[in-house]
Amino acid sequence: MPLHSANFPFLSAILIACLGGLLVVLVLPARRQKEIKWVSAISSAITLVLSLTLFLAYDRHLGGLQFAERIAWIPALGISYFNAVDGFSVPMLLLTGIVFFTGVLTAWEMTHRVKEFFALLILLVLGVFGLFMSLDLFFIFVWYDVSLFPMYLLIAVWGSTRKEYGAMKLTLYLLAGSALILPGILYLVVVSGLETFDMTALMTAGIFSPAQQKFAFLLFYIGFGILAGVWPLHTWSPVGHVAAPTAVSMLHAGVLMKIGAFGVLRLGIFLCPLGWQHWAPLMALLATVGIVYGVFVGLSQTDLKYVIGYSSVSHMGIVGLGLATVSVEGLNGAVFQMFAHGVMTALFFSSVGYIYDRTHTKQITDLGGLSRVMPRASGYLILAALAGVGVPCLASFWAELMVFIASFKVYPIYGGLAICALVVSALFILRVVQRTCYGPLDDRWRHLADMTPTRSLPRLILAAVIVLFGFFPSLMYNLVQTASIPLIGGLP
Amino acid sequence: MTGGAIEGPALWAVVLAVGTPLLSFGVIMVALRQRGRGHLAAGLSIAAVSVTLLAAIYLLISHWHMSQPKMFTVNWMVSGSLHLPYGFYLDPLALLMLAVVALICFLVQIYSIGYMAGDPGFGRYYGYMSLFAWAMTNLCVASGMFQLYVFWELVGLSSYLLIGFWFEKFSASQAGKKAFVMTRLGDVAFLLGLLLVLFQLGNLDIVQLDDPTVAAVMPPHLLTLSAVLIFGGIVGKSAQFPLLTWLPDAMEGPTPVSALLHSATMVAAGVFLFARLFPFFSHSAAAMTLFLAIGTISMLMAASMALVSRDIKQVWAFSTISQLGYMVMGLSAGGYVAGVFHLTTHAGFKALLFLCSGVFIHHYGTNDMFEIGARGGRQMKIAMACMLIGAAALAGVPPLSGFFSKEAIFAVLAGLDNPLWLTAGLLGGLLTAYYSFRLIFVILLPGSPGEAPAGEHHHPPPAVSAWFMEAPLLILAGATLLLGFTHHRLAEFVLQWFPMAVGEHAAPPWVVGTALALAAAGVGLAFWDFGRPGAARIGCLSGLPSLVRFLDQRWYLDRLYRYLLERIVYNGVSRICTANDKKVIDGTTDGMARGTLQAGRLLASGHLGMLQYRLMVMFVVVVLMALYFFLS
Repeated sequence: MPLHSANFPFLSAILIACLGGLLVVLVLPARRQKEIKWVSAISSAITLVLSLTLFLAYDRHLGGLQFAERIAWIPALGISYFNAVDGFSVPMLLLTGIVFFTGVLTAWEMTHRVKEFFALLILLVLGVFGLFMSLDLFFIFVWYDVSLFPMYLLIAVWGSTRKEYGAMKLTLYLLAGSALILPGILYLVVVSGLETFDMTALMTAGIFSPAQQKFAFLLFYIGFGILAGVWPLHTWSPVGHVAAPTAVSMLHAGVLMKIGAFGVLRLGIFLCPLGWQHWAPLMALLATVGIVYGVFVGLSQTDLKYVIGYSSVSHMGIVGLGLATVSVEGLNGAVFQMFAHGVMTALFFSSVGYIYDRTHTKQITDLGGLSRVMPRASGYLILAALAGVGVPCLASFWAELMVFIASFKVYPIYGGLAICALVVSALFILRVVQRTCYGPLDDRWRHLADMTPTRSLPRLILAAVIVLFGFFPSLMYNLVQTASIPLIGGLP
Repeated sequence: MTGGAIEGPALWAVVLAVGTPLLSFGVIMVALRQRGRGHLAAGLSIAAVSVTLLAAIYLLISHWHMSQPKMFTVNWMVSGSLHLPYGFYLDPLALLMLAVVALICFLVQIYSIGYMAGDPGFGRYYGYMSLFAWAMTNLCVASGMFQLYVFWELVGLSSYLLIGFWFEKFSASQAGKKAFVMTRLGDVAFLLGLLLVLFQLGNLDIVQLDDPTVAAVMPPHLLTLSAVLIFGGIVGKSAQFPLLTWLPDAMEGPTPVSALLHSATMVAAGVFLFARLFPFFSHSAAAMTLFLAIGTISMLMAASMALVSRDIKQVWAFSTISQLGYMVMGLSAGGYVAGVFHLTTHAGFKALLFLCSGVFIHHYGTNDMFEIGARGGRQMKIAMACMLIGAAALAGVPPLSGFFSKEAIFAVLAGLDNPLWLTAGLLGGLLTAYYSFRLIFVILLPGSPGEAPAGEHHHPPPAVSAWFMEAPLLILAGATLLLGFTHHRLAEFVLQWFPMAVGEHAAPPWVVGTALALAAAGVGLAFWDFGRPGAARIGCLSGLPSLVRFLDQRWYLDRLYRYLLERIVYNGVSRICTANDKKVIDGTTDGMARGTLQAGRLLASGHLGMLQYRLMVMFVVVVLMALYFFLS
């Protein structure tokens, strides 16, 4: 795989921006809440600008791994600090930047233990950024764990509804995942005989026998699949979504679940392409079950956040189905869906968070008619819902369409079922919109204030991204293709 | 095969026609949605739709004689081997539809200034109207089926938003959701059908699909299957059997919306798609027969429901389904021109009927035709006269437009081998005349004096309405009067370029005679039941109360669907999945967690931390070791 470096270490700069923000937040006294928020906002804004620069500056003709940085760290073990990005990871970095920045802005009204909250939030994002850009297996594992542990505290301390249960469940599930990933990594490093954790070296075709690939792929698929909400290992995710505070839900559903899918892609598919092809039918089956199952369970939920949680299970199933097709179109659709779902679900949680902060309820039976008193907040909620339903000219439509096309070609039955699930998905998401925003207004909510334009800034950014990529899907596809075409072309 | 490219002023005209409404939608939703800026939003939206109208008229006139269709495409999305183009395909059908859509959008938006005046959501209303205009115009000129599908979904979205426009009414938001989900059901089939075609042909250009060579490329069974699946989308969008129950509910939206979306243009998009893919569908005789049956069933079923409804808008809604059924019948019997012609005339007179009803509804604040009649609806002279013209056209009274287009359909049906279809069509004509003139007579002719609600001295404001509500009525009424005479010129225009040979049928005299006699019988019966002085005004069906109830309940279709939804979806699959999530999956993991805890406790009981206990364990171990060594 061709490797290109840049004059400026963009990737490390992203990590340094996070790390710097983290240190300043830690140094500031806890009562300087305003300064802490501003520092977090600036640090997240820098990461957003840098990731946007990467998105624009990535050379689509050149392709391959760009912006590479490598420093040997423990040569004896073959561990190096090695970052580079390709067409799969650039969208993920951009997504993380967007969700991080908007998440910090959404959490602006936070008053409880502000310092610890933002410090943990930045730490979490640091891990996520690191994971998306790292090409060293050791670092990938470390970043993975860095991104998981803050989650426990963020939910257990700042959460709501059954927060201890949710936090513990999430942590145990994800640790179970990492208990599979670590053996997988060590297994591959050992059997390769190369004594290196460098992914580009391990990716060389022919290092691993088919049997080894099948075994290791399964470890990665299950390990990372837990994080991606693969059925039947998904139940931690709705519970976690519900328990987490708004900004954390945004990061959790928007970015953290993507780590799972990205891990399957980066470790499973890149290192074990034969294992991928072997297990693809199983992946397709589980993904389809997840898609259909998610919408049906979502149909009977009455808690707004549970509804979004199960819609995430269904939407992440689409990512899984795309990966399972072993085709350029399927990979394109899957990666775009990761991006589109991340932005959409962040907007969803951000709007719901606003409503929850005002009404202190997430039960759709208690809400209703909110479009009258908070037209702006419900407008964003409706936009997110429409994106979730798969309305054209919003980003997720193109992603889903691409996955449907690819999967219907390879697995007509699964693809057909996934398409049919669109009907139920429309039913359950619109039901939520109807019960929340439409209908008669309850007297309890008559006095509520709408979002001010400043407050709506994070939602505006997210909405703009959804619409922009909805009108110009090629912005994303011509980037993702630089990675997916060589990957499929290089398959044995 | 593909024809010329769109260049120069024509390209500008198309871009303006399909682009300005989007601009207006964007500006309104971002900046003009708030209360107090409604008039700006209305001005902007009407300006945009005027541009569309002018461009559409220019295109129609400048392409009145065209030797071949014109194309223009750019890449919208490229992903792997898949290229989805965005473009324009101008052939007679697209130009005609574009002009019809633009004209009715324009008229309805003008009319809405009066109808929606004072509504708190005035700006939002015009935003949604622009969204609809954008989606619908793009649908008309789409060059590929994917583009058509995208905008097909977007008109569905605008329909959802506009039906539920008065969102505080629970029934309105419910109706919007129902419309979206039911049409989505059809659209899923549509998408599956498109994908089947895509895998066979490699792309989805309309020219490619309509090419005569398709039959040689695609195996016949796949062709039939994909035709039937694509037709599923038509069934959903045009509210044909069995997905027809959403359209009557959609009348919850403001009346101009019903006029524009749910009678004249959006629901006709289904028929438009049929006409678009007419050569493709024609390859499969089996599929065409199925479509003919569906059209006939929908036509008769909806007409029968219209016989008993008291709600003006409901009557026109059932009538719309029924007339769409006629169009589907005409097309599936091979009458391309007849179907397209009826689509055009119906758009005019049905929009007219809805807008007239809107005048009454706006004025009297009720949808009940008997109440409007009792309170003196006939005093609104312009609306009454226009409604009479519209109803006469609907009933097939010569020389109005509806007469000509319906005769064209009867002519096609008469050409079929099986006389059943023609009989059904003629029977539908009788029902149509009866229900439309029932409504007219109830409002127009004074009932018995005792009918006015006793004790109520309600004096409605003088029966005048603003010019912007009346001008559209007059224009549409004029079109209804004149459009019929353009039949042959329109047929020439539509057929001047078409990928396959379709003959134009002339109706045998006896068919025309029978149709006229039946229409007269329908009007006469309606007069006997509702019009003549001293009529009981309950209709001849009231002798059969169970039939009336059956029709009033819309053949119990809604009940059936509701029951199935509750039983299978909510209480069936959804409940099982939720229980599985809670009991089986979570039960297993929580059980494992509990098991781990209990195992821990069990082990912990060996570590009580008491010295005597430890000493005893040590002693026992030492004794055992000693025994082991000594004995071995």
